[in-house]
Amino acid sequence: MYSRQQKPLILNYSIVGVFLILFLSLFKLQIIESTKYTTIAEKNFVRIKTVFSIRGEIYDRKYRSIVLNKPSYNLYISLNKIQDKKKVTEFISQNFDLNPGEINKIIYDNRFRLYKDVLIVQNINFAKMVKISEQMNYYPSLSLKSEKIRNYLYNNHFTGYTDRINENEYAKYKEEGYSINSYIGKGGLEKYYETLLRGTNGYQLLQVDASGQNLQFFKHNLDKPPVNGTSLILTIDNDLQNYISSIFPKGKNGAIVVMDVKTGGILAYVSKPDFNQNIFSENLTAVQWSNITNDPAKPMLDRIIHGTYPPASVFKPIMATLALEEEVINEKTKLSRCEGGLWFGNRYFKCWWEKGHGRLNVTDAIKYSCDVFFYDLSTQFSLEQINNFTKENMLTIRTGIDLPGERKGFFPTRKWYIDNYGKYVGIIGHKVNLAIGQGEVLVTPLQICAYYAALGNNGNWLKPHLLMKTITDTESNYIQPEIRQLPVSQKNMKLMQQSLFNTVNESYGTGVAASLNNVSVYGKTGSAENHMGKKTHAWFAGYAKQDEFEIAFVVFLENAGHGGSVSAPIARRIIQYYYNLEKS
Amino acid sequence: MRQFDWVTLFLLVILLICGIIAIYSASTTQIGNDFQTENYYFKQIIWIIIAFIFMFIIIRIPYSAIEIMITPAYIISIILLIIVLFMPEIKGSQRWILLGLFNFQPSELAKLTTILLVTKLISKPHITNWQIISRSFLFFLIPIILIFLEPDLGTSLCFIVSLFVILAISDLSAFYIILIVSPLISIVTSFSLIVFIIYIFILIYILYKTELDKIIIGFAVVLNTFFFFITPFIWNSLKAYQQNRILTFIDPMRDPFGAGYQIIQSRIAIGSGGFWGKGFLMGTQKNLNFLPEHHTDFIFSVIGEEFGFLGCAIILLIYFLFLYRIVRNINALKRKEFRFAAIGIIAYLTFQIFINIGMNIGIVPTTGIPLPFISYGGSNLLINIMAIGLVLKFLNERSIFE
Repeated sequence: MYSRQQKPLILNYSIVGVFLILFLSLFKLQIIESTKYTTIAEKNFVRIKTVFSIRGEIYDRKYRSIVLNKPSYNLYISLNKIQDKKKVTEFISQNFDLNPGEINKIIYDNRFRLYKDVLIVQNINFAKMVKISEQMNYYPSLSLKSEKIRNYLYNNHFTGYTDRINENEYAKYKEEGYSINSYIGKGGLEKYYETLLRGTNGYQLLQVDASGQNLQFFKHNLDKPPVNGTSLILTIDNDLQNYISSIFPKGKNGAIVVMDVKTGGILAYVSKPDFNQNIFSENLTAVQWSNITNDPAKPMLDRIIHGTYPPASVFKPIMATLALEEEVINEKTKLSRCEGGLWFGNRYFKCWWEKGHGRLNVTDAIKYSCDVFFYDLSTQFSLEQINNFTKENMLTIRTGIDLPGERKGFFPTRKWYIDNYGKYVGIIGHKVNLAIGQGEVLVTPLQICAYYAALGNNGNWLKPHLLMKTITDTESNYIQPEIRQLPVSQKNMKLMQQSLFNTVNESYGTGVAASLNNVSVYGKTGSAENHMGKKTHAWFAGYAKQDEFEIAFVVFLENAGHGGSVSAPIARRIIQYYYNLEKS
Repeated sequence: MRQFDWVTLFLLVILLICGIIAIYSASTTQIGNDFQTENYYFKQIIWIIIAFIFMFIIIRIPYSAIEIMITPAYIISIILLIIVLFMPEIKGSQRWILLGLFNFQPSELAKLTTILLVTKLISKPHITNWQIISRSFLFFLIPIILIFLEPDLGTSLCFIVSLFVILAISDLSAFYIILIVSPLISIVTSFSLIVFIIYIFILIYILYKTELDKIIIGFAVVLNTFFFFITPFIWNSLKAYQQNRILTFIDPMRDPFGAGYQIIQSRIAIGSGGFWGKGFLMGTQKNLNFLPEHHTDFIFSVIGEEFGFLGCAIILLIYFLFLYRIVRNINALKRKEFRFAAIGIIAYLTFQIFINIGMNIGIVPTTGIPLPFISYGGSNLLINIMAIGLVLKFLNERSIFE
């Protein structure tokens, strides 16, 4: 036993011991080994070098390139090696399209990252590189590096593009190994499949002294090799994609989608106008950027999934199948006589055909696209019934395509009308309009394409997708299509298919401009009145069959006129091209 | 006769000033001829002022007022330690309660309240050995386990060290101390049977020499053997990442891209400082590596680089004088709970200093423990200064409780 007075003595000795250990260790480190560590400090011998993974490339269904990597020469600055900030800034601004203010901002933004190289100019052309490399010796803070950047072989809206990571994204993703100079997918597949495409950066630990001797601070798992990104094989067919791009009416805005009915794979995805995605890696100037963003035609808008439009008459099969399923009508039922319009209370709703269609059954109502037939049907259903049935047919809900930011579209509810029009709004008038796909209902061209593909596939709705497989996948793990059922019986489905066939192939059908001799074409026209211009949006949606090949398509042109006269002939050319392609 | 220890207070102020200077330098970056400084040094000054107000209050109010707050304060700190487990992770652990203006680390409060509560409980008269052990273990293990879950291995270790020091200076007989410490050695030796057998023989010899009953010796051997056999079992039941975390804690060089890299860079910084150092603000290494932590956990590397061996030795000397002076005076404290509490606090601070500087020069594991009075940090600084306030208060009142 210790006495009371003795015990704290242990503490005294411990404190003396602790400080002696620290003192001697410091003496060893700072006096005996000082020279060694001074050299290491000056030469920066021990450091981690990031070995960047190579981003995966993107190919079409026949392994033809869509997005490639290409070499690029970039200028970097190491802030801790700057000797004279003014001189360096001057040198850069004399040689490149950057003013001293912009350079100072880059330096200021990275002032707490002195140990990292900061990208100043990217994609320097060869002549400029030769010119500045002669003077580089005077500026030890500057260095040129050869890196890979993206090369988009054609303009499109599905691959998206990559760009330098911004401050917010960096804060969010830096734990995942992004550096301040990283590129990151900013839209489309580049964003959706970022993790797959990117791979994982590796590390290399440098610990050699001036004579190349290993300093051997670390003995365990020294290097971590990078895992390169996975290349993607898409369902896109470059031939079809480029053909559609080339026949797209000049100066028109719109969207064309072609989809494989049996798999849900997208064969062509064209939204116009488009923009060159390579501009983001080519020192985009502020003027160029504002030209793109302020262009009234909105070239960056992907009209296929980010644009929502009134579906007009391409919506009519929804109303027709609803009425058939609810047994309000059968294939023979004829509704009110069309005399060019129909009275509802004191409001007169016009049919597009002023002379009137007479009394029609459902098949002919679809074929002639008679509005009165559907006006009349609207009285049989509540707004909520129509809304629910629309959603059960996958319209006004997201299709779930493998692209970011897809829009839902819209179908109004009673509550929405009361909130927007006040308590005593008359729902009937709105409902009459909704029955022909006008008014507040909005859909994306992709939803329409997927819907018509499902009609062509006997009610099996397949989730549209762009990724067929990754390059490392074997046939067995191809993306399996996600299947849902439209709420329509096989009998009514056959009737609807017949109606769509008649629309294209019988005389006076609204879609006759799309008919072909050797291919069975099914389709529905639509001409949507809208607030964007005097002319209607021209829709033509449907599917085509020949042997084992079956495709669904949507041709949508903003303010271009009537679907039957403007969009249907384009659909015809696309179908013809596709079947010639498959035959050869 | 009251006598306030102005010299100790003066040494504390010197340490705090050294801290402000080091923080100023650590948060300054140089680009060409431009210097940019973040305002951590200013925030540190504000914290010091707040802490001194608390210290002044502690010294002035009667101890009875503090005494009645000990148990509620302990309960509050345990509640906060539970709350912190539901906070978002920062760098892989949940140590801070985010309060917007500043982040509060409940383990800092817990260390003071735990020491005060346990020393109060075990300094009661006529207390048995068993009561000392059960009380101190119970009230120490609750915060230790909660802090271990964050996970914050370094702070848990600090608690364990305080616990052992308090037990060592308490009225516990030597046998119990050996009984408590020996299983720890068993755990360490459990990776080699031969080392363990040698250790058991040494243990038996020591116990035999202290003329203990054979049954008690037998019990000690059985206990140690139990720990020897159970350790590999527990170790193997851990998941690979948990094993890795513990191995990296013991040997940071296993993780060259994380902790090991920081230690090497810290050694390079301090070693390259040489005898005289590179001069105030002239450090080059501080900006090259472990950027987020060099004003907190790695502040000593900045001192070592810029002020060299001379600066480091002076800092060590001030720390030593400060602690030694307090420890020397603690002997004179007549009231047992004051003596125990003061020793607990000093043991804790000494261990923190050792661990932090040791980590900076690469002789002990990396822990994430700040350097007392010098590192930037709100709750840590506040609690440390309050703890010193208490010690000064005890010393101040040493003659009244004869």
